[in-house]
Amino acid sequence: MLLNNSAKNNLFKLWAFGCSLKLAIALASAATLLIMGGSLVMHYNPAIFAGLEQETMGRWLPQAMSRAPLLVAWLPLSGLCVLLFAINTLCCLLDWLSRFRARWRKSGEYLIHAGFILLTIAYLWGNISGFRSGPHRLAPGDRMSIPEMPGYQLELEEFTPQLEPSGRPLDMVNKVALWKNDRRVVQKIVRINHPLIYDGLVILPASFGQELRGFRFHMPGIGFVDLTPGSRLSVSSGLSLVVDNFLPDAGQDRQGRVIPAGSRLNNPALQLSLFGPTGTIWQGWYVLRRPLPEGLVNAGIYLKPVEPVLTPFSLLTINRDPGDKTALAGGVCITVGVLFAFFSFYRKRATGDRPEI
Amino acid sequence: MSKTLLYLLFAIYLMASSGYLLHTVWRRSSIASVSLILVFAGVILQTALLGFRWWTAGYLPVTNLFATLFFFSWALALIYLYFELRYRIRATGLFVMLLNLVLLGGALPRDPAVSALIPALDTPLFSLHIIFSFVGYAFFAMAFSIGVLYLCQSRRNTQLLPDLQTLRKINEEAIFLGFGLFTLCLVAGSIWAHVAWGHWFSWNIKSIWSVLVWMFYAGMCHAKFIRRWQGDVYAWLSIAGFGIVLFTYLGIGLLLESNHPLE
Repeated sequence: MLLNNSAKNNLFKLWAFGCSLKLAIALASAATLLIMGGSLVMHYNPAIFAGLEQETMGRWLPQAMSRAPLLVAWLPLSGLCVLLFAINTLCCLLDWLSRFRARWRKSGEYLIHAGFILLTIAYLWGNISGFRSGPHRLAPGDRMSIPEMPGYQLELEEFTPQLEPSGRPLDMVNKVALWKNDRRVVQKIVRINHPLIYDGLVILPASFGQELRGFRFHMPGIGFVDLTPGSRLSVSSGLSLVVDNFLPDAGQDRQGRVIPAGSRLNNPALQLSLFGPTGTIWQGWYVLRRPLPEGLVNAGIYLKPVEPVLTPFSLLTINRDPGDKTALAGGVCITVGVLFAFFSFYRKRATGDRPEI
Repeated sequence: MSKTLLYLLFAIYLMASSGYLLHTVWRRSSIASVSLILVFAGVILQTALLGFRWWTAGYLPVTNLFATLFFFSWALALIYLYFELRYRIRATGLFVMLLNLVLLGGALPRDPAVSALIPALDTPLFSLHIIFSFVGYAFFAMAFSIGVLYLCQSRRNTQLLPDLQTLRKINEEAIFLGFGLFTLCLVAGSIWAHVAWGHWFSWNIKSIWSVLVWMFYAGMCHAKFIRRWQGDVYAWLSIAGFGIVLFTYLGIGLLLESNHPLE
């Protein structure tokens, strides 16, 4: 359908408004002022904004808006300004592209524009359809499903914390494998500044700790043995000792039954089963602060507690940002744009071609 | 790093500033030339000290307030030399070198010992982030100085300072180069944040204000095309922009708290 002159004029005016430099400055100024004020609101209301780093904006904002709409309103408002600014930038970019032959010397500046548009898209995309989860506690050998990514599982195969002699953490070396539908798709050593990046997933170490798994004993004639839940120890004359459970801090209820009292090492206890050739010989709790149970003594088993068995565990963060490649493309555009703009600036100054920037 | 060498460096820059001050009074080009030689000597000494610290630490040692002030001062002195050699701005050096003295003077009472590197900072991306950031800041500081001098020149029209057209040209160049380098700083920082924390933009107050610095100077790169904003307004914007830079660099660390790794 052919447009009449008036409609054409209106469209032209609308396009000119969309490309307007003054509009760009107005939108950027509005966003700047909103974010300036908002950053101070954020600083003085940590309870409201504390979760912003742990979640994507898309998940955090609706919750925060329902809790403190007035304190959070600057975020969607400044976001809207930045979005309109990006649209304005896009209009400028398209306008420049339509006159590329005459204005190709400005390629650097307009690559920066293109990069900014890509970054805005990447941020929106990543924060609407991505997620951040963790830290997840995994001990070596543990495997966990990634709930936000059905079919995906993360396995920690090995973990070695690296410490200075003073005990200061240096690095966290995690050998991890990513499984998709029970097929291992990637395996990598993940450590600080070296995440596993796959299909938009970013898996990286957050921290680590040590978990009490059992106790080390000395047994005459055998030596040192580590007893942890599931371990089976063959002792003389066809006897075997199986560890059913370990409690770092055991208590007793009113009926005298052993119950967990805490997770810190205080009153450790092992639930043991002693099997002979004909079946179970003895079963019960061995509270390490008390004498060895008679069932074990009668079987000729002597255990001398030495030290707790500690297993390091890793805390891993799992993030997904589907916009990360777009963001990287934006970063590349901006970097090339800056370098080209520098070159073009000095070239223009050297040749006297439009010496003003 | 020996404190004696630091005081020697401060003394060299102080003599250079005094020389520029005397030049404004007596207007002898020989005094300005001696001052320029002193700035050269200072930059060489400061580069050697920085290189030595880098070599002994095994990483770019810009991880505390002493080190950032020292690096900032070095970058500003270097950039002043660039503009001096390119445009022969002479008396302009007084204001820039005084600013440099403030930065170095702020570093002097602090402990120059190289602190242990946080594991997350042990990456070339961090070095790039820091270099681009502080060289960008130094260009903004230069633009601030030129902005102040532009306002002085537009009111007093003195022979001591370059003409308004040259000052405007230098100011725009400083903003343009500073903006470009600061942009590269944000790109390097974003890639580093992505590999270190799994997200390329962090909502800590320092990152937010860094984006504000970027937006402000992006606006300035455009504002020069608006006729009404050229001249005095542009000079005032250069001054205001450096205020935002100072708040981002020092204000957040000293007045507020941030979980940015350099806080």
